[in-house]
This record gives sequence, structure tokens and C-alpha cells, in this order.
Amino acid sequence: MIAGRRARRGTAVAVGLSLAGALVLSGCAPAATSTGSAAQSGAAGAGGTLVVGVTSEPDTLFPWKATQFQAVNVLQNIYGTLTEFDKDLNVVPGLAESWDTSSDGLTLTLHLRKGVTFDDGSAFDSADVKFSLDKIKEEATAAVAAASLASVKSVDATDPETVTVHLSAPDAGLLANLGVVNMAMLSSDDTEAALNTTPNGTGPFTLKERKANQSLSLVRNDAYWGDKTKLDGVEFRVIPDESSIVSAMQSGNVQFAVFDDPLVAQTAAAAGLAVAKTPQLSYHVLQLNARKGPLTDVNVRLAMQCAIDRQQVLDTAAAGEGQITGPITSPAFRSDPNSRPCPTRDLTKAAEYLAKAGKSDGVTIKTIVSQGEYSTSVNEAQNLKAQLAEAKITLDLDVLESGAYVDRWIGADFEAAVALNGGRPDPDGAYSRYFTSTGNLNKVAGYSSPELDQLFAEGRQTSDLAKRKEIYTKISNNLEDNAVWIWMFTSYTYTATTSNVTGFTPMANSSLQYLRETAIG
Amino acid sequence: MNLVRAAASNRVLRPVLSALGTLLGVAVFVFVMLRAIPGNQITAGLGTEAAALTPAQQAALEAYYGLDKPLVTQFFNWLGNIFTGNLGFSSRAQQSVLELTAQSLPVTLELAVFSIVLALLIGIPLGMLSASRPDSPRDAFGQAVGLMGLSVPSFLLATALLAILSATVRFNPNGQAFAYFSEDPLLNLQQMLLPSLVLGFGIAAPIMRTTRTAVLEVRGQDFIRTARAKGVGPRRLQVRHVLKNALVPIVTMTGLQFGYLLGGAVVVEQIFSLPGIGRQVLLGIQQKEYALVQSTVLLIALAFVVVNLLTDLLYRIIDPRVRAE
Amino acid sequence: MTEISESAPASLAGVQSGQRLRLLLKSRSGVAGLILVGLLAILCVLAAFGLLPYDPLAQAPQQRLLPPSAAHWFGTDQFGRDVFSRVAAGVASSALIAVVAVAFATVVGTLAGVSAGFFRGVSDAVVSGVTNVLFAFPPLLLALSLASVFDRNWFTIAVAIAIVYVPIFIRVTRGPVLSLREIDFVRAAVSSGQRRTAIMFRHVLPNITSILIVQVTLSLSWAVLTEASLSFLGLGTPPPAPSLGSMIYEARTLVYIAPWTMVAPGVIVVLFVVGLNLLGDGLRDSLDPRNRGRK
Repeated sequence: MIAGRRARRGTAVAVGLSLAGALVLSGCAPAATSTGSAAQSGAAGAGGTLVVGVTSEPDTLFPWKATQFQAVNVLQNIYGTLTEFDKDLNVVPGLAESWDTSSDGLTLTLHLRKGVTFDDGSAFDSADVKFSLDKIKEEATAAVAAASLASVKSVDATDPETVTVHLSAPDAGLLANLGVVNMAMLSSDDTEAALNTTPNGTGPFTLKERKANQSLSLVRNDAYWGDKTKLDGVEFRVIPDESSIVSAMQSGNVQFAVFDDPLVAQTAAAAGLAVAKTPQLSYHVLQLNARKGPLTDVNVRLAMQCAIDRQQVLDTAAAGEGQITGPITSPAFRSDPNSRPCPTRDLTKAAEYLAKAGKSDGVTIKTIVSQGEYSTSVNEAQNLKAQLAEAKITLDLDVLESGAYVDRWIGADFEAAVALNGGRPDPDGAYSRYFTSTGNLNKVAGYSSPELDQLFAEGRQTSDLAKRKEIYTKISNNLEDNAVWIWMFTSYTYTATTSNVTGFTPMANSSLQYLRETAIG
Repeated sequence: MNLVRAAASNRVLRPVLSALGTLLGVAVFVFVMLRAIPGNQITAGLGTEAAALTPAQQAALEAYYGLDKPLVTQFFNWLGNIFTGNLGFSSRAQQSVLELTAQSLPVTLELAVFSIVLALLIGIPLGMLSASRPDSPRDAFGQAVGLMGLSVPSFLLATALLAILSATVRFNPNGQAFAYFSEDPLLNLQQMLLPSLVLGFGIAAPIMRTTRTAVLEVRGQDFIRTARAKGVGPRRLQVRHVLKNALVPIVTMTGLQFGYLLGGAVVVEQIFSLPGIGRQVLLGIQQKEYALVQSTVLLIALAFVVVNLLTDLLYRIIDPRVRAE
Repeated sequence: MTEISESAPASLAGVQSGQRLRLLLKSRSGVAGLILVGLLAILCVLAAFGLLPYDPLAQAPQQRLLPPSAAHWFGTDQFGRDVFSRVAAGVASSALIAVVAVAFATVVGTLAGVSAGFFRGVSDAVVSGVTNVLFAFPPLLLALSLASVFDRNWFTIAVAIAIVYVPIFIRVTRGPVLSLREIDFVRAAVSSGQRRTAIMFRHVLPNITSILIVQVTLSLSWAVLTEASLSFLGLGTPPPAPSLGSMIYEARTLVYIAPWTMVAPGVIVVLFVVGLNLLGDGLRDSLDPRNRGRK
């Protein structure tokens, strides 16, 4: 009987081991065929479902409240906006086919595209535009883009294909501001609650299904007003760990992923994946609160500016993956990083500025830095601290987890903050909310002046590109001459794809809108 | 008969009341602790963009997320809702917490069960091997394997396994969309294989050591020596007498592991993309979805408490000395 | 993974420390554990006194990701920092957190457990209630939440881990104390009018030290692993201060191109935990009264 039991136990172990072996062996095969089945490449370049690896799913499906990039990336493909951006970030027609601005700049007439329908089949017309713009402005909606419509007095749906926007003052940045997903055009019959479960948009894809914490699948919208997408669908698969995403791409389960960390990108490249790097609009900056502590004196701020070698920060924190930048990062208006008091590090000048401020013995700046929000934050802070220490400026670092960091940032409860801020294609959109005295982020920016207020107003008044470039160059120089913040560098976004993916163009605003032109096989 | 009388007496009522008290304590503790963490659902969702909100917009969002009511009201609303079966709603996932948990709990349970089965398959034989000849090379081997399981951080083992297998033999079933057992049993088992191995290896160690200690202890005891003296063969001794009596601490230890696994598999779930309950709670904490975290933690605590009660009962059944009381 | 030493209450006969040490050295695991822990302790001391070949924080971007060589025994990481120096500093840092966490848990847990077991009544009810609540929490999630509440530095992380461990120490000490209470000489002390606290310190505590010692070494090993897991979830000590857990975390992205960045801290963590466990086993064997009198 004992022998029987022993034998039985032995058999159980043997069976178990062989089962496990079978599982492993059979596991190898599906990994290979899944590439095939996932791609489903029949005719060359047509069809198939692209699997995109993401570390989390969208936190909301309501476009007016979406700020996290996972949400923005998905919603950009489901919803449409009045204007759009092309790959060079020029404003191009979207749901608005064309537009005219009155000579005094106070009236914007939008001519809407004909024959556009929402996913539920209802027609898109001026009533939807009026509804959307009015609702975004309404405070109870809590739409993030509300402040971009500050210059809008009223919106009229003159006829089903025309919308007239009446402005209180000329706003040259408005057309660019209308192109972000937070300004998505929604159907006048929809409510936030309904849209949270069933999105209803005019974009090239529609939502097919969603499994919480697992994946979100889009499918081609056959009623789209533009060129139909080459892909049959896109699956955003949640793989929380970035290294696991690289593993999944290596085994062919995932074909597309976007990374911010240069090290992960390096690993992906070493694993044989195609990695494209794209400079971004977002900028790494040491924000200074000129209303607090020793920073109220411009000489202290200038001393800091002169004591920093930005290339060194870039090299140590981000392995040199980036470009030194001035305040304005959008390509059409890009600042010249050399037009600042200290384009290169100059410790003598720094000491002079400190002496002028009466702080030759040194100064201490309370600085906050986030951990976990983006990969280089703490290393930037460490290098800045080391460099500034040589100029007798001590950065008293407070490394905070993101919730705590956001709380303090919002309350401007800092003297300096190491930050990565989003840039925008239009410099007015990027900075007027920070550096005008009435801007809704002015408290955080910590600086304003009548000169800047004047310049920003001028920049909004004219649509002439050359004139605007002049004005924004003046703004940029003003910001640098007063060492309002210490702008450091822009970094890259890395788009990794398996070899069978073609047709995708990454954008400087990290938009995934060119998924509509992507093909597999 | 004894069991029925025991049930009716204080001996059952007291542990049940104590369990309820524990659950209430957990509810209060998690409620307070969540609100002590900086940030709320608004800042978690909007990030630094929340700085651009006007006071009216801020108020609208607070009303939307239910953050505007006084804390005590929020607490009793939440508790009250639980009794009616409403565990809360996740605005991020657009599903009720009950639905979300119904989807994620089976995944973690499956993982826990497989891990324990693997751990028992590894741990008990190793423990008996070690105990069969203490202080011999055999013993050292068993203990060394057990120690490795205890010492290697689970995420290290998990990342290394995943990286190596994906790169070399392209074995990565976890890179595919997750399949529930009911949908695709084969793929599901493949996806559970590596995570259960990693977790099972980790908990095999305490089971191995408990087996070894228990077997050694039992062997040294009087009734075994008596049986030996009477001439009972060593093998029969081993299995029938020794193992059965060693079962008590092994069962206790296994029960402890199960309770731990319910919430401790977070790291493995992250690396292998398993949509389990550990990840659900982690996401809830990151996105500051209070109701989600509170209700889920309470559920886990409930499971833990229930498992403890059951283990206690099982203990009373197995151990003849306890039964005789 | 939590482990409770389930040994029976120690015998009341006092054992000389010399005899204990001899028994420890007799146990093979004890010796192995002592050696491992000793080696790592040397690394800690080197790190604490700055006697390392390189500054663990000094970055040298030109020497990024160099494989192990004579100049850099464990190679360099993505910032050109010497991995060996960082690992040594990491051992010191992880050890510090583990020691502080376990010390805190031992003191608080023992006091609470002994008081609960000895004085019974209200204190027992309160302590048992708190223990049950903390036990019902999944340990990693509890540590994670506690670590999120306060500013992140090594001390708050140690406290977070300590709070997770206090219930274990309470449970481990309360049980033996309950049975010790009933032993004759303790009863005699109580009836002869000695102050309760004096009895606690003079008679009860010395007899649970052996259990405590074993539990401390096991908990130390577990604290190291918990800290590593917290770092993995992004909640460890903030960089650039090296800790073994955060080094493994950062090395995840490098495992293809520079495997030594993960192998070095990984192996050291394993050795550290193995050493502590072996030491705990050796201590358990040497302190177990049934081993006394055996060769």
C-alpha cells in the first residue's frame, strides 16, 4: 500500500512535469503565429490590427477632461477638432474646411466640412460646434481648455455649415488652440456620462471594445470624412512594465510602442527593433518663483543662469539625448539658445551677479523635484545641485512622489521646481497663461511684468507670421534677460516598431494621429 | 456532535465577532490612510493642469468625484453602500467596483492556487528529503534550494525569466492579450505558468522548512519511538504517522501563504501583465480612486479573515488533541 | 513573505553566552551565515567610512556602461558610476533601513506583545485588535500606502516597513508570555508582591530573547526584500542614494545591453538574505533547548 502511494505520488509528479513541459513547448509556437494572426496581412499594406503596447489605459474617455497622454493618444483617433496639425505642426483644416478672419480680427468665420457624421450616424453641423464651444467655456463643465476660449465673446451657428465666432480682442493663437483634443467637437445630443461609456466622435477610428486594465480596441471608421485608415483596427494593450513591453515586441506580440526613457529605447534598438527618435515640444526647465525668498532679486536668478552648463545636465541626466533650448520650442518660433546673458557657463559672472545682490556668501534655494513622473527628473536635479554648489548656490532638494509634487506645484509652494512642461505649437498657447498677469498659471510661474503683458497682447493681435516671430523673439529675450526660469533642453520621444510596420510619422507634440496612415506588412 | 455544540457556544461566536471588529478596523484605517496620501482624484487625473482650474471648475470637479462632502459623511455613505452591495464606482474604468473585482479576483485566485500547488509540489518533497537524513549533503541541498527561493526577489526572477525566454526562445504568452480560463484554457495556463513558478518558488521555502522541522519534531516524539519499537517499518512510519502529524503546521503555513498571496502578488502581476486584484488596488492608489481601494482592500481583508477562520477549523479537525477538548 | 518562528517557549534554565556561541559555531548553517553577513558587514563599514574605490554618487558620462574590468570590478552603470562602490553603499543603505525598521518593530512589538500577554485585560484587547487589523492588510500594499503618505526618505520607508512588522513581533512574544505567566516562579513573584513591571523585565523578557533573536534575523532578511520591492514599485528611497532595490529597478531596462548592472546588486541581495537566514537558522539551532546536551 505504501509502495502504491509512493508510486502514485511519483506518477503525479511525472505527469505534472510533462504537462508543464508540454505547455512550454506549445507556448513557443503560438508566439510565432500570433504575429501572423495579429497582423492578418492579406493584401500588401491593407488591413490587420496593430497592437500598441502601453503602460496604462486612458483614465477617461471624455476628451474635454483628458490630460494624461494615454488618454489623449487614444481620443485623438476617435474624435475630431475644427483644425488639425500636419507633421510640421502647421495649422491645417480639420472639421472646419476653411475660415476667414475679419480685418479688425474680432470675427472668425468657420466654414464647416460637409457630409461629416458622428459614430451614431447623426450629422455634424454648426449646432454641434456652438454646443461644444459654449459648453467648454461653461465653468460647470470643468473643461481643461476653457481658458483658451477666454477671448471668445459668443458663438453663432449662422447656418448649418457656418459658424461665426465673436471675439473680445484679436486672438492669433485661437486657431492653433482649436486643434487640441481638449477642443474635440461633440454632438449636441451627447452628455459626459454617455460619452464615458460610448464615445461618439468624427475621427478615423471608433471604439470597438474595452477591457478594464487590459486593453482598449479601436476599429476603422468607414464613415470617416478623410482617407480611410489602412489598418482594420488598433489594440492598445496594457503592459504595465516597460521592459515587459520590449520583451513582448521581441516575441512579436506587440508591434508598436512609444518610450520616453532613452535607456529603454537603447534596449529596444539592441533587441533589433526599429526606433525613431523625434524631438519634442515639451521642455525641461528649472522653474524659479521670482516672488519668493532670495529669487525676488533678478541678480540671484541671473547668477543661477550663469552657473549652469546645460549640456552637462543633458549629458549626465539624459545621456546627451536632447537639444539645448530657449523658452519657445515650437519649430516655427524656436528661440535661439545663445541669446541669453550666459549662453555658456561663466562662474565669474555668476559671482558678480551674486555680489550685486549682496549675497556673496551664498544663497539657499528650496527646490522641489518629482520622482516617477519622468525618467530624468532626479538626475537633472542632482547635476544642477552639483553645478550650482560650485557657485555658492545651494539647492535644497525635496524629492517628492508625484501626488505631493503636484500639490506643491499647484500651490506655487516652492522657490524652485525641476519640471518637464508641455509645449504647444503656438507660443501664445504655450506661455500666455504663465507669464501674463491675468494668466491662470501665473501664480505658478512666479513672474509677470507690464512689458510682457504688452508683448503678449501684441502677439495675439496680428496673424502675420513674420511680425509674430519678431514679437515672440522679444518675449523670449525678455524672459531670458530676466532669468525668469532656467530653460534647459528638449528631449526626444522614441517610437519603436517591429519591421513590418510602415507609414507612421511621429510628431513633436507626441500625437499618434498618423496611425491613420500606418500599415502592417 | 461536538462541532455543533462548539458552534452554538461562545467559542465560535467570539472569533466571529472579533473578525467583524477587525474588518471595521480595516475599513477605518484604509479610509484615513488614503486621505493622508497627498493628492486626490482631481490632481491624479489632471496632474499639473489642475493648477489652471478656476475655483468654479474646481468645485464642479469635487462635486463630480464626491469629494465635497464632509469626511464622516463620505465614510458612512461608503459603508452603507457596501451593505446594499454597492461597492462604489470607478470613473476611470467606467465600471462598478463589484464588476471590476469580479473580473480581477478570479485571476489572482487562480494565480494563488497554482502558486501554492507548485509550492507544495516543490516544498513538501524537498522538506521530507532534507528531514530524511538531517545534516547530510541531502539536507544541505534541500535547504539551499529553499533558501534560494526565499532570497531571490520575485521581481528579479520574474524580469530575468521573461527577458531571457522572450529573447531566446520567443516564449512570451504574457505578451498576448490576457485570456481567462473560460475563454481559452490553454493560453490561460501558459500565461499562468511563469508567474506561478516565480511565486511558487518564493513560497516553497517556508513550506519546505516547516515540513522539515515538523517531520523532525514528530519523528523524535514518543509515539513514533513506540511504533518503531513495535516493529513498524520505516516507510509506513514516514507516510502514515509522521506526515499526518506534520500536516498541522504545514496546513497553517499554507493558509498564511494564501492570505499573503491575495495581495502580495502585485509585483508579479505587474511584470506579467495579469489583470489581478493586486494591480487593481495599486492603480486605485495611484489614481486616488478612494472607493475602489477601500472596497477592494476590505474584500481582501475579508478573504484573509475567512481563510484564517477556516484554517482554524481545519486545524481542529486534523489535530486529534484539539478535537478531544 | 512573512515567516514566524513557531518554536516552543525557551527553557527557563539560563544558558551561558559562551555555550551559546559554541553551539552556534557547531551549526554549519550558523557558520556560513556568520561568514556571509560578516563579509557584507565589512562592505557596509567600508561604505560608511568612505573607503570605497570610487564615490558611489560621482557620475562620469564618458565611462557609461563599461563591462567589469580591473579598474571597475563590477563595471559601470548608465551614468558611469562604479557599480561595486554603489553596491557597497547600497548594502549599507539597505542594511540601515532594515536595521532601523526591525529595531523599531522589535521594540514596539515586544513591549506591546509582552504587556498584552502579561497584563491581559484592556491592553490585551487593544493590542490584539490592532494586530488583527494590520495582519488583515496585504503587507506590500500596506507598506506602499504608508510610504506614500510622508516625504520620501530612508527613515520614513523604514518606519513604513516597521509598521508592517510590528504585528509579527506582537504575536511572537504574546504567546510565550501567556504561558510563562502560569509558571510557578512567576506566580510566586506576583504573589510575593513584586511590582509587575519588575517581574516583566527580570523574569519574562530574558526567556523570550531566544525567540526574538531568531525572529529578528528573519525579519531583517525580509525587510531587505520589502525595500527592494518598494523600489520596484517606484516607492523606494529617492535616487541618487543607492539602495540594492533601486539599483535592480534601474537595471531592468539595461539587462540586455549591460547585464552586470543587474547581476551585481541581484547577487548581493541574494547573498545578504541567504546569510541572514542561515544565521537565523544557526541561532535557532543553538538556542533550541533540545539541542543542548546533543553533540
